[in-house]
Amino acid sequence: MKAERVVRGCFALSLAASVGLSLVYLAGGSRAWEGVLLAAALGGIAVGFILWATRLIDAPDNVEERREQKPGEGLGLISEVLEQSVTGVSRRKVLAGLASGAAASLGAALAIPSLSLGPQPGRSLFRTLWVPGIPAVDSEGGRVRPEDVPLSGIITVFPQGSEGAGDSQAVLLRVAPDLLSLPEARASWAPQGCLAYSKICTHAGCPVGLYRAQARELLCPCHQSTFDVLTGAVPVSGPAVRPLPQLPLAVDEDGYLVAQGDFSGPVGPSFWNVTQ
Amino acid sequence: MIRYVESRLGLDSWGRRALRKVFPDHWSFLIGEIALFCFIILVATGTFLTLFYRPDAAVVTYEGPYEPLRGQEVSAAFDSVMRLSFEVRAGLVMRQIHHWAALVFVASTVVHMCRVFFTGAFRRPRELNWIVGFTMLMLALGLGFTGYSLPDDLLSGTGLRIGYSALISIPFAGPYIASLAFGGEFPTENVISRLFVLHVMLLPGLTIALLGAHLAILWRQKHTQYRGPGRSESNVVGKGLWPYQALLSLGVMALTAAVLALMGGLVQINPIWLYGPFDATTVSAPSQPDWYMGWLDGATRLFPPWEPTVFGVTIPSMFLPAVLLPGLFFTVVALWPFIERRLTNDAAEHHLLDSPRDEPGRTALGVAGLLFFTVLTLAGGNDLIALTLDIQVESMTRFFRLAMFVVPPVGGALAYRICRQLRDSREHPLGRGSGVVLRRTEQGGFEEVPRS
Amino acid sequence: MLLRSLLAAVVTTIAVAAPSLAQQSGRELYERRCASCHGPDGAGREGLGPSLTGAGAAAADYQLRTGRMPLQNPQAQAVRKPSVFSEEETRLLVSFVASLGEGPPIPSVDPGAGDLSSGQSLFIANCAACHGAGGNGGAVGNNAAAPSLYASEPQTMAEAMVSGPGQMPVFGFSEQERNDIIAFISYLQTSEAPGGIDIGGTGPVPEGFVGWFFGLTGLVMVLVLLVGTGSSRAR
Repeated sequence: MKAERVVRGCFALSLAASVGLSLVYLAGGSRAWEGVLLAAALGGIAVGFILWATRLIDAPDNVEERREQKPGEGLGLISEVLEQSVTGVSRRKVLAGLASGAAASLGAALAIPSLSLGPQPGRSLFRTLWVPGIPAVDSEGGRVRPEDVPLSGIITVFPQGSEGAGDSQAVLLRVAPDLLSLPEARASWAPQGCLAYSKICTHAGCPVGLYRAQARELLCPCHQSTFDVLTGAVPVSGPAVRPLPQLPLAVDEDGYLVAQGDFSGPVGPSFWNVTQ
Repeated sequence: MIRYVESRLGLDSWGRRALRKVFPDHWSFLIGEIALFCFIILVATGTFLTLFYRPDAAVVTYEGPYEPLRGQEVSAAFDSVMRLSFEVRAGLVMRQIHHWAALVFVASTVVHMCRVFFTGAFRRPRELNWIVGFTMLMLALGLGFTGYSLPDDLLSGTGLRIGYSALISIPFAGPYIASLAFGGEFPTENVISRLFVLHVMLLPGLTIALLGAHLAILWRQKHTQYRGPGRSESNVVGKGLWPYQALLSLGVMALTAAVLALMGGLVQINPIWLYGPFDATTVSAPSQPDWYMGWLDGATRLFPPWEPTVFGVTIPSMFLPAVLLPGLFFTVVALWPFIERRLTNDAAEHHLLDSPRDEPGRTALGVAGLLFFTVLTLAGGNDLIALTLDIQVESMTRFFRLAMFVVPPVGGALAYRICRQLRDSREHPLGRGSGVVLRRTEQGGFEEVPRS
Repeated sequence: MLLRSLLAAVVTTIAVAAPSLAQQSGRELYERRCASCHGPDGAGREGLGPSLTGAGAAAADYQLRTGRMPLQNPQAQAVRKPSVFSEEETRLLVSFVASLGEGPPIPSVDPGAGDLSSGQSLFIANCAACHGAGGNGGAVGNNAAAPSLYASEPQTMAEAMVSGPGQMPVFGFSEQERNDIIAFISYLQTSEAPGGIDIGGTGPVPEGFVGWFFGLTGLVMVLVLLVGTGSSRAR
């Protein structure tokens, strides 16, 4: 009888908690009290039912026999019915073949419109919005001079008019020019020590937003690919393989940074024909 | 009321049989029920959330009570989740219960699947139900990933971006598949509404259908049972559906909901106000997916920088860890009943469950697989572990690279030995209540004989 | 053992002698406490300490006030600890280091003038990649860590932004932008987590742990407690 009293208590507690929950809600709500009272209301029911099942009723162990069925036994009964579909048909195989062929081609025809879901990728993966002479601007659209970037500093730049463009974002860094050891062909790409690299990791496409200024390394916080800024963003650690594509920079006659052209390679994660 | 139903449907004999349907009584059989109840709770809380959520990428200005975001341009989707969290009464608690329920749903599904695996419950005639269950796990992962992405915050946007990178890494078809799935080159505007349709209609609909099939097959085939006195391959021993199992299950459902309500009320989850709205040009660290995707993130972190180009075809470094690895792993899991049948030549029907020690080979493989999964999952948090233990992230990565190859076989071998020892010892796993003992046969195998 | 007790004795002597040092000039203090690594004239010593010419008052004030300098092990990353210098000593050292060459001066800070919303978006765009969206800090690779911002004062945060200590980059923010960011960080420091216990505030990893070990494990344990272990229980 003691267990029964506990079960009664549980349900009573649940009842009280539910009333409390309604009151809390009507009084304006409170995240913590809503959670606690809901848990109490449900918990009371839970413990009540579980104890009811396990302590109050004396459920005997029942034994149920499994159906003994020989494999294939049911088959005969069913196929007799199924066979009715081909009574009166002379060339079963031709008919079945044509019917399934019709169904399959209808399925294929209906699947074709799924191509409307997106454009053909084409060459868009190889291009960004950077074109020769286009000014580099910050996220507010302001043009940038080399001296606007602090030494050991980092800002994010875009081609003018496309602030926030996902595929064209670049990190702009400034280092002491004598530290640079870029490939020879890129010697003119970093006026006054200003370097711009695609901000999209060549591994999984996360923005490479983390700059270790002392080590002059860019790090992607998603999978810890690390790129050496001074040598052309060559990966030095982590899973990335391709360097971050570099944006050739120049300074125009007004002293502002502009692009000499598009990035040195396709930006973002690799795909099968990325090298073509 | 019973009279009313009875007079319309004429339930008498079927109803009586149904009410007396036998359910073997063991705590481990309740884990699958927990998964089912989590799903019910997800549908209930999710319905509430859907009433307030807007699957819309249009830019609006946030004007709600959370000061640090006021006046910022956010997507309508993000705005609606903020409103749900801060302005809708009981909205935040519902949202947090929903997210906690999602984590526990996948966790309980995995544990339930492990129970089925280690006890051999997937063997003939239940291969079909294993496949159904496996498909539901895949749907659960899809539901989790799409749901995680709906708030359109910075963290989940980063997750979507990595998903895009995994799709585009597929040789030949990748760029097309990624473009079709996202409606163009990432980031795109239509992805939120697509994920919404998947998350609230397609995936839950399929899950409900398969759930029905899963339970119908279970009902038809009758439950498996552990060995015990009076239990054989040709019977089921347990408690009737009414009153014991029904009351118990009601209790388990309420208990599951109670624990989730407590967590939703007291423990913060997915604070999107901290991450802020998605912006393709920023990222926050640490950046991780929910736990069930963590192993793929870990595999991606551990994979060496290797991107071979064969005949002009580049195999992106994302492809192996993020596409091929899960593909192979899941294929083996899905087909395991058939693989094991091949390996053991055991095509007989089994209704009595193994104890994990009865099949050291299977148990060892399962343990190794779980350890592999665990190492990769932990590797997905390598930066946080490094920070907590004050170790270099790169050393952590090297450690996990090694552990990935060493820990699973060592753990598997250890499990094998332990199983062999336990099996050879005279105590049967289920102790004194057991009705059978094992005896070594002349061929070196084992056979069961009833305890005398 | 002997070495350690000797060292302890030296440290105690210095600590006891400290008040009298305050009267001496910045240069003398520098020579006693900093020159062994940074060189007698602040030119730095290979492998021990960087040059301080051009470091500026902001960097010196940041390093001394947060207790990062003096550093016992020059190879380790400096971390926040109680400062060993008095207010007066700090001022003397800072003005001495500032006299060594051109460098950023101590920026003025007024968090009250900051705008929370602008601060939040600047923080996410510039700071969250290392310090985390919740300002809890994070590993940035190669044994470096971005510290949690929960103990930072407005003054030293502003100094860090203009001087870029350790691996941190230098940020060319305007004074208003600095105030905005600091206002937001102060908000994080003082506001309660809207969702309840913040379990570390680092997102899905702790959430996963709680889901598994509190959620599912707790649930199963309560269940087993209530129903027993099924077929193995004596009835």
